[in-house]
Amino acid sequence: MIFAEDVHVHFRTRFLRRKVRALNGLTLEVRDGDFFALVGQNGAGKSTAMYCFLGLLRPTSGKVEIMGQVPELGCGLYKDIAYLPEEPHYHLYLTVEEATRYYSSLSGKRVSDKAINESLERLGLAQFKTLPLAKCSKGMKQKVGIAQCLIHEPKVLFLDEPTRGLDPLIVREFRETLREIHQRGATIVMNSHVLSEIEMLANRVAIIDSGKVVVQDELQNLLTLNQELYRVIFDANGNGAVPEYLTAVERTGHLVRAFLPKAKLSDFMEAVRTSGLLLHECSLKKTSLEESFFNIIKGEAMLAENANSRSGVSIS
Amino acid sequence: MAELLKANILTDVTFYRRSRLLLAFTLVFLLITALQSLPPLFMNSGVQNFNSLQQIVSTLNFFILILTAGMGLLIISSHLRNRSLKMVFTKPCRPEIWLLSAFLSAGAISLFLNIVVLGTGVLLSALWHLPVRVGLIFISAETFVASLGLIAYLILLAMVMHPAVAAIVAIIFNADLFYQFDLWTKAAIRSGNSSFALRMVERLFHSLYILLPIVYPFDKQTQNIHTSLRVLSSEWKYLVFAFGYALALSAFSYCVSLFALRKRNHI
Repeated sequence: MIFAEDVHVHFRTRFLRRKVRALNGLTLEVRDGDFFALVGQNGAGKSTAMYCFLGLLRPTSGKVEIMGQVPELGCGLYKDIAYLPEEPHYHLYLTVEEATRYYSSLSGKRVSDKAINESLERLGLAQFKTLPLAKCSKGMKQKVGIAQCLIHEPKVLFLDEPTRGLDPLIVREFRETLREIHQRGATIVMNSHVLSEIEMLANRVAIIDSGKVVVQDELQNLLTLNQELYRVIFDANGNGAVPEYLTAVERTGHLVRAFLPKAKLSDFMEAVRTSGLLLHECSLKKTSLEESFFNIIKGEAMLAENANSRSGVSIS
Repeated sequence: MAELLKANILTDVTFYRRSRLLLAFTLVFLLITALQSLPPLFMNSGVQNFNSLQQIVSTLNFFILILTAGMGLLIISSHLRNRSLKMVFTKPCRPEIWLLSAFLSAGAISLFLNIVVLGTGVLLSALWHLPVRVGLIFISAETFVASLGLIAYLILLAMVMHPAVAAIVAIIFNADLFYQFDLWTKAAIRSGNSSFALRMVERLFHSLYILLPIVYPFDKQTQNIHTSLRVLSSEWKYLVFAFGYALALSAFSYCVSLFALRKRNHI
């Protein structure tokens, strides 16, 4: 569906003309029907990768294809694509309604007034129809972007930080809408810093660091990296001592949160039974996407450091 | 394609309508024209009225030229600087169509304004009991044609440089300036100073004069029309030639602008 192979994007800074490598051999594949999330630090190259997928930026080298075609500005491919930009770079002189109508009409399909009104209604923009975008808040502009994105039921959606600046109610509704669209068979590519959101929505994730994909895998594989620990929460009930094999012990009043090695599970259960501890939770510790992300990025940083020190030795 | 052109043109017209810069410029210019037209209202001389009519039409036509050139400049620079084109080019709307609609929308406004000025000329003629001269139609048509070339040229300049620099290039470093420089250097060479450097400079100025677009390419031939508001049948051909020139200039500017637009990163 979406395919990028060894994509390099180099920029020159404005005054000193220094070379900046925005993408450095990015290779990834988004399959048909994926809800694909691009994760990375600021400046990792997530938005640049998205610009390349959309044809807004020509790669210095490498190959990008969407549905078997090389994306070019305004080509027929975009009939089935919707894009929600990170920054609200909209036509600020248009009103909310005019902008929604204009962006929708550019898709080459007729849009009825009813469809536009319904879309604005759904996003809570109906009462701001005549407000110029220049006077809208960031969240409202984002809603206009969402409205124009969803009006044609696209086959591929590119979302760059889609929930930035939105109120929690709309975020929830938007999430539901995305799930619906995804269930109908659309492919979604999303950039987001909100890892919990990605955990809720995506089925595949690529972690980007320094312009290249470090890990690209099913979300489930990233979430269950560590299955050797149980997470336990119990009420110590005034009993100050906790078994010594518990790690990362946190106390909040009587409540104790800790990690339990898998091998000590039966010992712990025995201790609970004999000492009368009130057990609230005992579940396999799932590594969150946030933890996986930090571990991977940390690992990459260490590798880079080692490589640098090795090259430093060879030079000297 | 027609639907896309229509959508873009309507949006561009909205941009012009809501641009405060264009509105301020229009108001200032209309105020100046209104002040100019006040004195003749208190005179009853036919000659004076005719001179006033000629003056008002000339001022309004100049205003149209400046305004439409400004529209060409603003429509491009505003969209490039706001980075809103990413919203257009990620839809099935090619840069060719967007650029064409920017040109056509400014052209349509120019046509509308020229018709208004022509109507004003006819109305003033009737008010001041002057015969309605065909020259009014010729001048309006000529201004419209000139504005088309100017719009296309300003679109090109705005596409490749900062709008402020584009405005300076259009206002100062134009064909007229290099024509004057060409004349001075030629005069200097004729007066005995025929150094190699001066001859090279003369060639450079001459080339620039030839290369840069001219607003009224046949102004010498049509000068009489502007003063008498009469048109000889043999003079209509200059309108056709001017249209051909504007068309060629527009086509060239469009192609170069399109190339520049495609080369840009719209991020």
